[in-house]
Amino acid sequence: MDLSQPVEENYANPKTCFFHVLFKASALAFYMLSTLFADSFVIIFVITVVLAALDFWVVKNVSGRILVGLRWWNEINEQGESIWRFECLDHESLARINQKDSWLFWWTLYLNAVAWTIFGIFSLVRLEVDYLLVVGVCLSLAIANIIGFTKCRKDAKNKIQAFASRTIASRFSSTLQSAFSLV
Amino acid sequence: MSNSHSDTIPLHPSNSQSDIDEIRSLIDDSVHSGPAVVLPARHPASTPPPSSSPFISSNIPPPPPVSSSSSLQKLQSVPAAPPPPPPVGNSSSIVANGFGPPPNTLTEPVLDTVKRDLWRIVSNLKLVVFPNPFREDPGKALRDWDLWGPFFFIVFLGVALSWSASVKKSQVFAVAFALLAAGAVILTLNVLLLGGHIIFFQSLSLLGYCLFPLDVGALICMLKDNVVAKVIIVCLALAWSSWAAYPFMSLAVNPNRKALALYPVLLMYLSVGFLIIAID
Repeated sequence: MDLSQPVEENYANPKTCFFHVLFKASALAFYMLSTLFADSFVIIFVITVVLAALDFWVVKNVSGRILVGLRWWNEINEQGESIWRFECLDHESLARINQKDSWLFWWTLYLNAVAWTIFGIFSLVRLEVDYLLVVGVCLSLAIANIIGFTKCRKDAKNKIQAFASRTIASRFSSTLQSAFSLV
Repeated sequence: MSNSHSDTIPLHPSNSQSDIDEIRSLIDDSVHSGPAVVLPARHPASTPPPSSSPFISSNIPPPPPVSSSSSLQKLQSVPAAPPPPPPVGNSSSIVANGFGPPPNTLTEPVLDTVKRDLWRIVSNLKLVVFPNPFREDPGKALRDWDLWGPFFFIVFLGVALSWSASVKKSQVFAVAFALLAAGAVILTLNVLLLGGHIIFFQSLSLLGYCLFPLDVGALICMLKDNVVAKVIIVCLALAWSSWAAYPFMSLAVNPNRKALALYPVLLMYLSVGFLIIAID
């Protein structure tokens, strides 16, 4: 970071950002330019969906952890109930997260979903049910990630607030006790 | 997460009373945020999370490029494998220690995550499709459900059917995929509406894994073209699929309603079997 300039950050994790965007962009690009590449719908479907699935995995496991410090997953406990778990870095590390990274992460997530929705509307208008299937799968993967990470972020904020209030309360009580012990 | 608080809370000159309070608050923290940190190492079939120790350690400096290059390696090392499933309890990812994400422990884990996820697919497959002692208890068997195995099996079945078809290949694929995907969802809803106790994703996962015998059957039918042979192979595959799906579906609902839950499943697999036979 250049101290002479006012808060001019670069991406802290350029390679992760690159991969984060790579699969999304290539899935969208392949879908758009599919007629140039392949005649067969099957190949278009398989490659687009595989790229979207790879993107889902990368976002969930790699870029979510590295760029914004969030992670979510599902467990089934002993009673057979399904629990969604959300995890985040502690608040000092969260404060240290690069703003550009986080901005890129969230915006590409939303734009990806919007792009697939637009493609869905196009294929709906043209009544291409086959392509609607592709769009449906990619859209559901994108929305799953958005919902997971948004819930995770809310959970993180709640945890930070709870921790902060607990810390303040405990410090307050310890200060009081030390004050009383001096008296 | 809680342990990291202990690393990062700054020391301040204080008397013993506030130290005790601090320790007490830290213990409270670890108790309250415990569930978020405890990872599912209790499942007998799953491998223990590779690096649960990072949660406790505090001095691991990490350069992010190392972890990204490991993801590169990961991509190159699993070119044909299905995309790994969402990890259940990848412990090493968030080492909250204020120094940023650890690359040494992240380098390992990305590869380890891939390996662990692939292993989970294999173990789920073994649990569902092959005879094993856990079959009696459906909840225990597919505890670590994942949707990547089913995804791969459905796509493979669609590709195999489409390959065997001489005309309308794309339609065959689309029909097979949509039939299986929508069918799995509807069958799960059927069980839930019958008052059964099954978790949505677990059931989707199960129905997907039970496609494995039909996948094998479709593959063989792709290679052999004799109708009689096809019928025999498909019947065997169908029987195997139904045998695999039976315990989970039947145990999930009331015994009176067992048939109501099972019949649509058998019907769906039967229609896929017909597709395999009829395609030429």
